[in-house]
Amino acid sequence: MASVKLTDVKKVYDNNVVAVHDFNLEIKDKEFVVFVGPSGCGKSTTLRMIAGLEEISGGTVEIDGEVVNDLQPKDRGIAMVFQNYALYPHMTVYDNIAFSLRLKKVPEDQIYERVTNAAEILGITEYLMRKPRALSGGQRQRVAIGRAMVRDSKVFLMDEPLSNLDAKLRNQMRAEIILLRQKLDTTFIYVTHDQTEAMTLADRIVIMKDGYIMQVGTPDEVFDMPDNLFVAEFIGAPKMNIIKTKLLQENGKYYVTPFGAKIEVDGDKGKALADRKVKGGDVLLGVRPEHIELVKAAAPHAIPCKLVVDEMMGSELHLHVDTEDGNRLIVRIPTLDLDKEQRKALVSGAQLYITFEGKAMHLFDPESEKNLLA
Amino acid sequence: MNNTTEKRHMGLKALNRASNTAIYILLVLISVIWLIPFIFIVLQSFRVESTYQVGYVIPHQWGLKNYINLWNSDFKRWYLNTFIIALAAAVLTTIIQLCMSYTLSRFRFKMRGPLMRFMLILGMFPGMLTMIILYRVLADLGLTQANAVPGLILVSVASSGMGYYVSKGFFDTIPKSLDEAARVDGATRLQVLYKIILPLAKPIVIYTILTAFMGPWGDYVFARYVAMGTSAGYNVAVGMYSWLSADQIGSWYTTFCAGGVIVAVPVTILFLCLQKYYVEGVTGGAVKG
Amino acid sequence: MMKQYSDLEYLRLSKWQRFCHKLIAFFCAIPHAIASFFINIGKAVKTFFLKVGAEFKDIGLTFVQGDWKTKASFLVMGFGNLANGQILRGLLFLLFEVVFIVYMVVAGGYWMSMLPSLGKQGPTTEYDPVYDTYKTFYHDNSFKILLYGVLTIFFIVAFIYTWRINVKQCKIIQDIKKRGGKLKSDKDDLRSMVDEQFYKTLLALPLTGILIFTVMPIVFMILVAFTNYDGAHNGYANNLFTWVGLDNFNTMLSWKGGAGGTQSYAATFGEILAWTLMWAFLATFTNYFLGMFVAMMINKKGIHLKKMWRTILVMTIAIPQFISLLYVSKMFARNGLINLALLDWGWIKEPLPFWEDATWARVSVVLINIWIGIPHLMLIATGILMNIPADLYESARIDGANAWQQYIKITLPYMLFITGPYLLTSFTGNMNNFNVIYLLTGGAPTNVAASGAAGSVGHTDLLITWLFKITTGAESQYYLASVVGILVFVVVALISLVVYNVLPSIKNEEDFQ
Repeated sequence: MASVKLTDVKKVYDNNVVAVHDFNLEIKDKEFVVFVGPSGCGKSTTLRMIAGLEEISGGTVEIDGEVVNDLQPKDRGIAMVFQNYALYPHMTVYDNIAFSLRLKKVPEDQIYERVTNAAEILGITEYLMRKPRALSGGQRQRVAIGRAMVRDSKVFLMDEPLSNLDAKLRNQMRAEIILLRQKLDTTFIYVTHDQTEAMTLADRIVIMKDGYIMQVGTPDEVFDMPDNLFVAEFIGAPKMNIIKTKLLQENGKYYVTPFGAKIEVDGDKGKALADRKVKGGDVLLGVRPEHIELVKAAAPHAIPCKLVVDEMMGSELHLHVDTEDGNRLIVRIPTLDLDKEQRKALVSGAQLYITFEGKAMHLFDPESEKNLLA
Repeated sequence: MNNTTEKRHMGLKALNRASNTAIYILLVLISVIWLIPFIFIVLQSFRVESTYQVGYVIPHQWGLKNYINLWNSDFKRWYLNTFIIALAAAVLTTIIQLCMSYTLSRFRFKMRGPLMRFMLILGMFPGMLTMIILYRVLADLGLTQANAVPGLILVSVASSGMGYYVSKGFFDTIPKSLDEAARVDGATRLQVLYKIILPLAKPIVIYTILTAFMGPWGDYVFARYVAMGTSAGYNVAVGMYSWLSADQIGSWYTTFCAGGVIVAVPVTILFLCLQKYYVEGVTGGAVKG
Repeated sequence: MMKQYSDLEYLRLSKWQRFCHKLIAFFCAIPHAIASFFINIGKAVKTFFLKVGAEFKDIGLTFVQGDWKTKASFLVMGFGNLANGQILRGLLFLLFEVVFIVYMVVAGGYWMSMLPSLGKQGPTTEYDPVYDTYKTFYHDNSFKILLYGVLTIFFIVAFIYTWRINVKQCKIIQDIKKRGGKLKSDKDDLRSMVDEQFYKTLLALPLTGILIFTVMPIVFMILVAFTNYDGAHNGYANNLFTWVGLDNFNTMLSWKGGAGGTQSYAATFGEILAWTLMWAFLATFTNYFLGMFVAMMINKKGIHLKKMWRTILVMTIAIPQFISLLYVSKMFARNGLINLALLDWGWIKEPLPFWEDATWARVSVVLINIWIGIPHLMLIATGILMNIPADLYESARIDGANAWQQYIKITLPYMLFITGPYLLTSFTGNMNNFNVIYLLTGGAPTNVAASGAAGSVGHTDLLITWLFKITTGAESQYYLASVVGILVFVVVALISLVVYNVLPSIKNEEDFQ
């Protein structure tokens, strides 16, 4: 159990490619932090620098107040779960889990106790005598976690641990990781490219791109108030609709004018704009698919559009619609909201009217792509 | 099924059968061509009526005279020399090559790239060039002629690090995350090597031992150079080559065949036992290089 | 200049046009490649000097900013380490310095001083009044001077490098102390030998071996090419040898014919080089394609006893080459099994000139090399063939490709892609394939036109066997052997360079990864 502090951490490869730019982050004791971002954003590299598997080109990494830059991985008090599990193929599951304890010269009876204990928690007791290749993907994953568990480490590192599993198993393991976290009660740093994993697991999410941190915040924060366009589009599925439009300021009120409609930016957001004395002009308007609703043609601010594709997801419906000037938007509607007649009318080519409320809007500067409200 | 498709079906089958038959014939032919010289050697080694080359293969008189002849010649000494060299090379070369290939596969240090490039360039020089000086150096150390064996071991082992390609290719196929997991688990690099990597590298270790052991049996040039005409320092290749010189072949030809059998049989048996590993090494490591 | 195509235009070209385009592109790129080669050399030289300058600056700064311990380390290596409690490192530095100084005083200085002349006085015969005989007195030894001279230079370079590290370490110690950090203790150092510094431990032995038994001899032999070291000037017992500049290269590359109307060295060299290249080409590709063919036959679906066929072939790998090659060589000799049998059966009147006629001999060695090489290639090809994804063939079959088209469009490109580097090493390996040629023919039949050259050249001689014959010949012209060796290196390096530069384009075209 420990805090982790990264100060100006930098990674430059031999060919002068910078993988991570001055990375600053303080992770509190027992916090669950998720690094998320597209591939090549430097999230794994950062994790590996914390683990000591990658040399730190600049800055310092502290674990529990001690600078660990020059320490070997084994001396940093960490445990790690690898993406491809990295189970030792020539050892049984028992030996795999016991490996680190044997290296530490823990007495065999203690090893036995700890290994069986961990196996029980993970439900792999009956596989202890098997070799890794005789296990399924999910079982291997558990062994990998078990191997990290028995180490009593200060920090628990996980590098895309679920990405090799199929969708169903992934959901199940995700829930188990939450349980595991409650049991272990230690500091977790978790790397993934999947925003759903990040949202469901994290206390705090670190969103990265091209070696830079784009935003750090709780799942609520990054979802409700993305710092910039990248975060806005990255978090949430299907991704946020982005509309090029204009912001008008009339009589102290703000309006946006997407597709000919004129919708007021009201509530907190309007106030925030006023507080910041934002001037009108070009903006990028972001609206999440679930915040768009279908309306009648006569409704206020109705925007006409044509249905192109409809995807039935079960509990909800994803409608891909084209506005009159050819912009593609995605609308997400709970299936329950529709009656049979309405559902039948949703065929490709159908004429629809959509609108959204001011409080659901995100506004970004088209130049800097920064959130105007943040 | 209508008539034409049935015909097409039959045609395909017949074609396949014909081509398979052709392949069998070819394979039998190939097997014969590849095996016949060795069968000839064995047969001629039992020929007692004459010691020179003749125009037939099956001996008119069978006997072990050639093998007795072999026993009475210096062949014993040569065989022992070669065996010692092969054994020493198998142990030492394997250690050196594994050190080299493991390091180059697993560690990323500043000089790694330049080192590998340097060795690539070094390998473009004909090795024979160095023979002259190595001979003089060995002569100064007193490791030539009758003492050729330690000299040959020294020279063949010393440069063996250059032949790291095959085993490095194999090490590269072992996921690096295993090393990393073990290091996080608390293993030193040394422990990673002997607790994780070596158990997984068994095929390539056996391959390296096998090739290192087989090499010296065919080593001719440098062995001849170092022995410099002193029979006690010959290995089998040098010794038996001398039997085939124009003035010796008449009286030693069949003995040469007998010697060939004695040399080839143990090596071949060993090889066939470990064939699996050899194939794995060649197909796994050799191509990736 | 050549026509530039856009990507889409290029795709519309026929195969032949594409090939021409590539060929032209390759040759058009040569001037640019050469230019950039020299520019790169220039850049490398520049960065080298910049680096050296930076080193000197750093050394100077270390001295100026250093405390008295650091300054003392400039003279007494390891002093900084010793004074700061790193006893082990300090002692090693100190020991190295002492050994170096003692060596330079006792021996190194002498070897270095003699290096420019390679010895002043050869053996002399003097009257010995005590025994009333003439006795030979030996003086300088050119061979040893060159050898130990080279070693001493290696040693000096190593010393300078170590000294530099010693200075650097003092700076690091000072920096760490300034930051208030902890120095590594001797125990840490020892522990790191099996951990983060483990690679140094592992490489120490192999690299020492390579340095002493490969690098040093090669440097020595390159130097020999600039001397007149041969049997009559062996540097000690008869005459000293000395530097002769580029004379040996002039001999080897001159077009002036020898005595008695024999051809010049350059012509002989060219002839042997041409055959060497031809041999390497034939040996590599016959084995490659036939080996692949055999592998495909054995791998074909529906062929039984796969393991047996493979084992029969693989078994022949185990038998030491000298046995099989010598036996086969004698089998095809003038009075060997084949000729005697054919004569007995009355099929021929005269023995067939397998090893007596240049063309017969060349064809024979290539054929016998196929016999030697196929099993190995069969193994390699089998491994790769089994790795070709089956769905490639399945989709090709659905697209309507027949067996031959599948081979040309899938198997062959895949094989070539995977084995590209292997083909190159196999080609250069065959250029230097001493065993097959020497054990089969010994280079015979003799090339009469080349009798003016050293080493009794034969028609099947490769450069490498020629080199061997020169050194073991009556006059042992080691200097010529060196020249041949250097030229072999140049040829191999050139081929490798060209192939490596062409390979990526092949890779892009047929990318299977």
